[in-house]
Amino acid sequence: MKPAEVVNEVKASGLRGRGGAGFPTGVKWSFMPPVDERQRFIVCNADESEPGSFKDRYILEDDPHQLIEGMIIGGYAIGATIGIIYIRGEYWQGYERLLQAVKDAREAGYLGKNLFDSGFDFDIILHRGAGAYICGEETSLMNSFEGLRANPRLKPPFPAQAGVYGLPTTINNVTSLTSAVHIINKGADWFSAMGTDDSKGTKLYQISGPVAKPGVYEMPMGSSFRELIYDLAGGPTEEVKAFIPGGSSTPMLPFDDEHLDTPMDYGSIAKKGSMLGTGGVILIPKQKCIVNATWNLVRFYAHESCGKCTPCREGISGWMTKMYQKLVQGLGAEGDLDLLDNMAQNIKGKAFCPLADACLGPVQSSLKYFRDEYEYLVEHGAPMYTRDSWWQE
Amino acid sequence: MKVVVNGIELDLKPGTSAIDAVFAAGHDVPYFCSQEYMSPIGACRLCLAKVGAPRKDRDTGEWIKDDETGEPKIFYFPNPMATCTTAVMEGMVIDTLSKEVQQAQSGMMEFTLINHPLDCPVCDKGGACELQDRAYEYGQGTSRFQFDKRHQEKHHALSDLITLDRERCIHCKRCVRYFEEIPGDEVLDFIERGGHTYIGTLEEGLPSNFTGNITDMCPVGALLDTTSRFRGRNWEYDHTRSTCLDCAVGCATTVDARTGRIERVKSGRNTQINNDWICDGGRFGHEYVGADDRLETPLIRKNGSLEPASWDEATAFIADKLKTMGQHEVGIALRADATLEEAIGATSLADQLNTGQRDHYPRPAASVIPQGTQATLNQVATSDAIFVIGDLTEEAPIVDLRIKEALKGVAPPELMPHGVPIADLRLKERMPRKREILTVAAPYHVDLMNHAGQTLHYGAGREVDMLSLLVTAAQGDADGNVNVDAQKAAELGLSAEQVVEIVVGLQQAENAVIVYGGFVLASKHAANAAAALAKATGAKVMAVGPMANSYGLEHLALLPSQSGFGYASMLRGDVKALILSGLDPGPGRRRSPSTLRELEPARRPRQLSHRDHRTRRRRPPGQNRLRKRGHGHEPRRPLPERQAGPGRCGQRRRLYRRDQGARRRARRADGRAEYAQRPPEAPQGARPRPERTAGRRAAPASQVPGGQHLRGQRPRHTGGQPAARAEHGPGRTDRA
Repeated sequence: MKPAEVVNEVKASGLRGRGGAGFPTGVKWSFMPPVDERQRFIVCNADESEPGSFKDRYILEDDPHQLIEGMIIGGYAIGATIGIIYIRGEYWQGYERLLQAVKDAREAGYLGKNLFDSGFDFDIILHRGAGAYICGEETSLMNSFEGLRANPRLKPPFPAQAGVYGLPTTINNVTSLTSAVHIINKGADWFSAMGTDDSKGTKLYQISGPVAKPGVYEMPMGSSFRELIYDLAGGPTEEVKAFIPGGSSTPMLPFDDEHLDTPMDYGSIAKKGSMLGTGGVILIPKQKCIVNATWNLVRFYAHESCGKCTPCREGISGWMTKMYQKLVQGLGAEGDLDLLDNMAQNIKGKAFCPLADACLGPVQSSLKYFRDEYEYLVEHGAPMYTRDSWWQE
Repeated sequence: MKVVVNGIELDLKPGTSAIDAVFAAGHDVPYFCSQEYMSPIGACRLCLAKVGAPRKDRDTGEWIKDDETGEPKIFYFPNPMATCTTAVMEGMVIDTLSKEVQQAQSGMMEFTLINHPLDCPVCDKGGACELQDRAYEYGQGTSRFQFDKRHQEKHHALSDLITLDRERCIHCKRCVRYFEEIPGDEVLDFIERGGHTYIGTLEEGLPSNFTGNITDMCPVGALLDTTSRFRGRNWEYDHTRSTCLDCAVGCATTVDARTGRIERVKSGRNTQINNDWICDGGRFGHEYVGADDRLETPLIRKNGSLEPASWDEATAFIADKLKTMGQHEVGIALRADATLEEAIGATSLADQLNTGQRDHYPRPAASVIPQGTQATLNQVATSDAIFVIGDLTEEAPIVDLRIKEALKGVAPPELMPHGVPIADLRLKERMPRKREILTVAAPYHVDLMNHAGQTLHYGAGREVDMLSLLVTAAQGDADGNVNVDAQKAAELGLSAEQVVEIVVGLQQAENAVIVYGGFVLASKHAANAAAALAKATGAKVMAVGPMANSYGLEHLALLPSQSGFGYASMLRGDVKALILSGLDPGPGRRRSPSTLRELEPARRPRQLSHRDHRTRRRRPPGQNRLRKRGHGHEPRRPLPERQAGPGRCGQRRRLYRRDQGARRRARRADGRAEYAQRPPEAPQGARPRPERTAGRRAAPASQVPGGQHLRGQRPRHTGGQPAARAEHGPGRTDRA
């Protein structure tokens, strides 16, 4: 196959980026400028830091060769001779196994110069992150790889024009690249036969929280939450009031029939006011105070804010955490909820990168669906549900 | 391309940023992170506007029309856009006046202010603070933030010259970007992340020659010039536009003086010369002006001691003495930073006295007016091959900066109706630099070599040999090939390849420039060789003279009429009378003959170069840091009427206090009378603010002399649309 044919095959398969945004992978590959003398890179974003997501970890630890194969295919398609895997620093086991896998692949001749006399050179650089959520944002990842401060860069220029070291670069998620392996092996038709109209193929869904069998499950796109939660994960182990459909940055949804029967694809979840994201489903038990649960997420985003732009640095990192702390301590006053709501509106859509909006997902949705719990907390100074931990009875 | 800003149609070039479109239309948006001549980054998120553009149908290629009006339909972006990082598009519509934009801006202003200490009453930036102005114009007037503000270091000495207040910092990143983008010295960065982010250095101090500029561009009072801290409020200063005399560049500056005393020098804007930047020597090296031992009155030696005299007395005395002098017995010499007027005066005096002993000093051996085509600084900044001989970082620091600008490969921006574009989208953070176009030659390692593609180290004093080698190579052999004498090159420590590369680089470039300073000017032969090299390669020439007006004084021919009449021979005692301006021939010169001792001036004026100044400031840490006015030490310049004698000072203080007390009592009485006559229905507590009109805040750009804006009082708001501004929203006018 010629590189252009690989790109077309992936385009035809309808594969959409599995990292969260869902941009068609083939289209992204076709954005690369025509081949010239410049070095080109393919980067694998294995900096999986979203709370509730752990699909990449399974691949990195249990099937690293699939990722290497995907990198080679991607590199071949876009004409990149260097692949960079930016792996989350905390994934030590995954890193060690991937390191060994790269070594094995090099010895077996899958990586190196002139692979199998095809005239195609390809090698992989492994780079461990130092534990920043922002590095999952592609331009921050590139900065971090270059040894700079992990701040998001201005787009345009997009990575295809000026990426790593200002050179043409494509960045894909781990599972986008591993999906490409099967698309090339079995054909675009095989892949696109699965899933729904706007979301083709299969996807790794993750489920965590109070379910019988939490873990990673591969299902065709468009399967419903009910199938995942009840049929595969064995159902909730206690009463659940809400679930986060796709990693902590997606707005939570109430745990009711209407939302459980939503197909897990990009379009259907968007219609319900949330996002598919990484497909990391988190169940929130009824006995857990929703304000406390949201505070947990807000603290995470406040800690991970890079500090570049005002709304995220001052709004989320500076103000919103303090507001939640005040609420959770039972010190909330009348008007605080309106202020919180207004503050969220002032941040929404005005920050430099999507990280600020990611924090607003759980905040705004919990305010929307569980305002009664917030109001109860403000009124009584104590939460409606009092369980501290998710896991203890 | 056509762009509509708040209903005003503009025709702008592609690549213009939306924020410049807004300002070009005479409207205003707040901004903190954008800065002229630097890359826009979109970090402060203040310049939000509602932006939309028409779209073309993908199939037909026609504009999608609105069904009702038949005009191209405007598709608005779902969220307000940061205009500084948005490029204009054909038919773009920008709205900065609607309710939602106002809310977005005031909401963002609230975020900016929550951790700002609002210590304006004690802040040196007060009155010239962008945050203060913008908060007044676009803020809500109140804050809903009820928690403790962030507490960080208030007086962090970034270097001996710059103090950082980390609480005031609003993280606009101007200073951090400045160091990377303009001088290329990466000495400052953000440390930590999120709400804990602060500005800091990895090591002690700011090892750069251009650090003071960050105090000018800081939009708040976070970065302050330590030498002028707590010395005055901005409205007390007299801002005088001036030109720096520290080197041959002649940067625009603004001199801020309070009660007749120079307290600080800030950079001015000259788009042809220094853009917005000045070096630290020019900024901080002004203290000699207020030196204690500076002459203030004429002194005449009477009976062996110098006595103060009036100007009339002094001129009469000089005239008397000069009348007795014969031809060529009087020498006249000026320092080479004298003005043209001084030079004309000196020349006519010399003509009157009929003496050829006239000179300026320092004056190099070779002419500072180069042969060949002279390059301007803007031509240097757009050049595609630059050959530098000497240490320009020390001789003319701004030339060094403009050379670094050329490495970015972005031509100086075209001026817009509001001046220099605020957000030039061609500039990016951490741009790749075209180092290969720069070659630096010097006998030792100079700072500019860190940025050069090629460096040449030749033996000290061998400029002529090095240049002649290059000239021979450039002139080529009979076939027109580059001709290198490998043996000569090896003697100089150069390789033949290096020589070929430089010569070919200069010859092939379209706008090559050869820049040289004192090393070449010290020898006529070297200067001639440089001219020959320029001729052989088709390059332009920039010669950097030793002082601010070397060029002008040479043009006015303030030169000795014959070779024995120069300044050096005047000092050797060939004259009976010596008229000097700005020059110090006294002790320190080895050959100081007895005749000169009689001529020795009453007191030596202290002339400090910026290097002296820096060494003077470098004290052991913690020791004597606050040796300046207002910190328990006596004023450096005694007040004029103060006389030595018992009890006089105390008496003056008592008189002053009594006077002040009387004034205060009178003011109180006035205030009480006014208060008693107030209308009875006046609301208690809430004072109505005077409504601020656009016209009062600043003059439009067109009314500012020369179209240039004084920093610190720049007309950010060009004030063209008072009506539009008045209805800008309740946040600005209804605040009480």
